Amino acid sequence: MTYLVGYRPYKDDKSALELACQVARSMPDTVHALTVVPRGWETAAGSHTDRDFVAWAQQEGEASAAEAQAFLREQPEVSSTSTWVTGRSVPAAILEQATALDASLIIVGSGPDGPDGRVTVTSKTGRLLHSSHVPVVIAPRGYRPEPGSKITRATIAFRDDDLTWQLLDRVAEICRRVGTEVRLLTVALQHQSMVTSPVRAAEALVFDKLLEQVHGAQAEAVTHLKGLGFDPEPLVAEGTSWTEALAGVPWAPGDVLAVGSSSTHQLANVFLGSSAGKIVRNSTVPVVVVP
Amino acid sequence: MSLPLSKQLWRRKPIVFQHQHHQGEELARNLNTFQLMMFGVGATVGTGIFFVLSEAIPKAGPAVLVSFLIAGIAAGLSALCYAEMASAIPVSGSTYSYAYHAFGELVAVVIAGCVLLEYGVATGAVAVGWSGYLNEFLVETVGWQIPHQLSVSPIPGPDGEPTGGWVNLPAMILVLMCMLLLIRGASESARVNTVMVIIKLSVLLMFVVICFSVFNAEHFENFWDKGVIGISAAAATIFFSYIGLDAVATAGEEVKDPQRALPRAIIGALCIVSGIYIAVAAAGLAAKPVEYFEQTSSDEAVLSLILKDVTGNEVWSTVLAGGAVISIFSVTLVTLYGQTRILFAVARDGLIPKRFLEVNPKTMTPVFNTVVVSIVVALIGGFIPADYLWDTVSVGTLIAFSVVAIGIIALRRTHPDLERPFKVPGYPVTPILTVLVCIYIMMGLSAITWVIFSCWIALCLIWYFAYGRKHATLNHYVDPEEIAEPGGRKLDDE
Repeated sequence: MTYLVGYRPYKDDKSALELACQVARSMPDTVHALTVVPRGWETAAGSHTDRDFVAWAQQEGEASAAEAQAFLREQPEVSSTSTWVTGRSVPAAILEQATALDASLIIVGSGPDGPDGRVTVTSKTGRLLHSSHVPVVIAPRGYRPEPGSKITRATIAFRDDDLTWQLLDRVAEICRRVGTEVRLLTVALQHQSMVTSPVRAAEALVFDKLLEQVHGAQAEAVTHLKGLGFDPEPLVAEGTSWTEALAGVPWAPGDVLAVGSSSTHQLANVFLGSSAGKIVRNSTVPVVVVP
Repeated sequence: MSLPLSKQLWRRKPIVFQHQHHQGEELARNLNTFQLMMFGVGATVGTGIFFVLSEAIPKAGPAVLVSFLIAGIAAGLSALCYAEMASAIPVSGSTYSYAYHAFGELVAVVIAGCVLLEYGVATGAVAVGWSGYLNEFLVETVGWQIPHQLSVSPIPGPDGEPTGGWVNLPAMILVLMCMLLLIRGASESARVNTVMVIIKLSVLLMFVVICFSVFNAEHFENFWDKGVIGISAAAATIFFSYIGLDAVATAGEEVKDPQRALPRAIIGALCIVSGIYIAVAAAGLAAKPVEYFEQTSSDEAVLSLILKDVTGNEVWSTVLAGGAVISIFSVTLVTLYGQTRILFAVARDGLIPKRFLEVNPKTMTPVFNTVVVSIVVALIGGFIPADYLWDTVSVGTLIAFSVVAIGIIALRRTHPDLERPFKVPGYPVTPILTVLVCIYIMMGLSAITWVIFSCWIALCLIWYFAYGRKHATLNHYVDPEEIAEPGGRKLDDE
């Protein structure tokens, strides 16, 4: 088993490598940094541009792998390797390597375009999330944990449906192996009342009921987790938007957020929007997306 | 231990507020009179004016202008009374909730029946009207329309002639589209409301200007021919078009100085709405004789048809139909929303099954409630002609408003010390006048409307005695938090 890290050349962001080392310190395993470079085309082109391209890609791959290796070598407590491969699609190549290496986790960064300190799901990460059979961990852009630090607490994004109940058991299993604490986080949003409807504070009514349901479901989940040997802290993030609700959640160094990826199903995205996606995009700590 | 029936029927729900406060719960007093007025205009214009002329003008003739005035006065007076009730009983919900707190369970059940008629049937009726404008818009833009069989209800209208239709599919689709939006948690914000107000007023103003350009004074001859009965019958139908004005009343908590701002906003909105309605009616009559309206039905896009006839081209009628399609969509969304939330409040009190209270953990909206309401409303819109719907909505609303007007007199006597951030001006004349005007309008309703209404209320009462009475939350609450309101001003005398 190994932790496979997607590492990109030219991106001045070692957050994925930093996070991989932090995970490896918490649950020892080999960190494998992988760079995917474009594959050359098979048909010969004029003026040897095809060969020039292959040579360039090879050079880039080697430089990137060396850069990753140089970083990983500075982490003496983490065993690591670094390679590069060519591929038509970065996510496909990563998934192929994950299978070949029997990876237990895939760790990626947030890409160069998102806000600093936030998790961004790039199009490549999106593909990974939909296809990966192992958990994918996404580091916030510029993530730099304390040197030598470990993952200490997992916050499970819990919603009272079958998918997140399954997630609970899976994350609990991982947390037991890592030896981390567990928190339960449920987001409760108060929608805006229609200004032109003569029903006063209608959404306060609905929100009130939602909170009652959330507290009931969390109590049930806490009992379930206690049965598994944890003492989880329940947490309800209230607000009128995802950003507002999640801004009120206290985070500590060593925290990660665990969400289920089944709820990011494309059909759900089209018709209802993805709650998991919104939580992920508003996260300031690394996110583990569990399939 | 069960309560004796006589006591349970008059049992009032105590007003208890939760101790804990949720984030964002406090209402900001940040609305001004103008914004409030726009809410009133936005909520009101669109519920009826696009379709009501072909129903009202045959009843009252040119005196329909007086009917509009009477219906407007009734709606304005009712809204003022409603505002005092809402301010005296600062709980969430609508007329139903105030009635439960002020007059007890029996009155609350009757009012719930009235309000469900008001919103549920209104949504169906508006959707039927939308269907007509959509077809008109399609014909004039792409030259194709949804087949007649699929855009008309199979039930014959009051004239008894077969319609040749199977189902009003566009009306059903509109309701189901609104359902999807509500499930998703969509809301009409103040900004969207402003845009809708601009669209509605612009197209109606365009109609007025164009129709006045072909003014024919002969159409106003024999003004009073239909008599007092005709005027009140038309007013009863028209009253439907003023539903929504009460939206201003419930916003009292959000306004800086309710005692000054509320009556100004209500009267301001009423003047704008009545002004535009009377202008539209006068313009319609200026362009077409009374006989023309007798031949059209409220399922048709009557304003668009008039414009097409008057101008001889399709540009203006297409613009009007387009404006109507957009703005009536938002009206349907708002009324459907109102219906689901009123039902939510009823379910919270245990008078209907608790399933209507379930909030979906994913969408965080009451999905079961929304789906059930939408299916019922879609069936109403799909299979019942609008002619039967208008008056039924009016009767429910008129009864609810009369009860509110009587209620504020009763409350002033039984609870004189109750804090009332807004008091109705001209007490006791205003509430008494409200009841009188409402009664006058109700006298114009047909016997069949009263039969439908009585059957519906009887059904509600049967339901109450069979289910609600046994399951009412008040039967078994021990902790006040169980019935506590999510937020608001505390009452001293409760």
